[in-house]
Amino acid sequence: MNDETEVIHTYTKDLLLPIVKRVKSYFEEEMKIDIFNTSEITSPKNIHLKKNTIMIGTSGSIKLIITLGYDDLLLSKLVEVFVNGDEIEDADVDEINNSVACEISNTIIGNAINNPVDKSDIYITPPVMVSEAKTLYKDKHSKFIYVSFVTKYGEIQLTAVGPKEQFEEKLDFKEI
Amino acid sequence: MLKVLIVDDSLVIRAKMKGFLKKLGHSIVGEAKDGKEAVSLNEKLVPDLITMDISMPIMNGVDALKEILKTSNIEDTNIIMITANGQDGIVKDALKSGAKGYILKPVSECKLQDSIGKIFPEYHNDQSDVLDENELDDMLS
Repeated sequence: MNDETEVIHTYTKDLLLPIVKRVKSYFEEEMKIDIFNTSEITSPKNIHLKKNTIMIGTSGSIKLIITLGYDDLLLSKLVEVFVNGDEIEDADVDEINNSVACEISNTIIGNAINNPVDKSDIYITPPVMVSEAKTLYKDKHSKFIYVSFVTKYGEIQLTAVGPKEQFEEKLDFKEI
Repeated sequence: MLKVLIVDDSLVIRAKMKGFLKKLGHSIVGEAKDGKEAVSLNEKLVPDLITMDISMPIMNGVDALKEILKTSNIEDTNIIMITANGQDGIVKDALKSGAKGYILKPVSECKLQDSIGKIFPEYHNDQSDVLDENELDDMLS
């Protein structure tokens, strides 16, 4: 998947690092699920989205599509923690899974989103579930950013897709 | 005991809010999945308090708040906005539009109790950490 790794510039990092940090703090503090490993932030040519992927768009001076994808077992665990022992009817399982994944993704991205460029507010769309695995291929005008997190229940995949210009070097590069 | 209308497009959040509010001794008079439904249920049910998600399909929470306040007295309309997006402008816009408080997600029973206590002093919890508009202004200045 990560067949092309490029230097990721500060602009991107300033936008994505708070989300990366919030994924970790949300899972560890709110869900009590440890994250054992976080990958480097890379820029692959294509991204294979997980079956349970939530997509959220941003608007304002920064336009991106951000996705958070969850492995099946991890999503089941999140639902278990979220509903806190309440019984779920079989007929409601899909809707509850969808609703929990949307809510967690919305909270993480909403809490962490910021504007490193001009400090104006960035609005986020309501979350949407992409229920089947899809592969996204990069157009020459777009750029993908990818980070993954490992828990004992499976992986969380964070991606950002946007116009290439948004990711070009505007500030000096600095390490995470 | 307050009569509460819960407005949120998320099924699990409506269920969570219902659980918290019941534990705090309040009565749930209705639930709405979007702002449009909230406007119509508010007219019908006349709740003491509305918990209103900001980001919703069809009509968002801030537009629903403005719509409700077109026909209701601001003094008697108690709306707590619920949002994941804590950016200053978004929260301030909601408070300036007439919301009496806001809660940054994830929602907890404690945050909800604190926010209710700011509006209804009889339900006040001393360990409040929810900011009202003045506190928010102080924080930002």
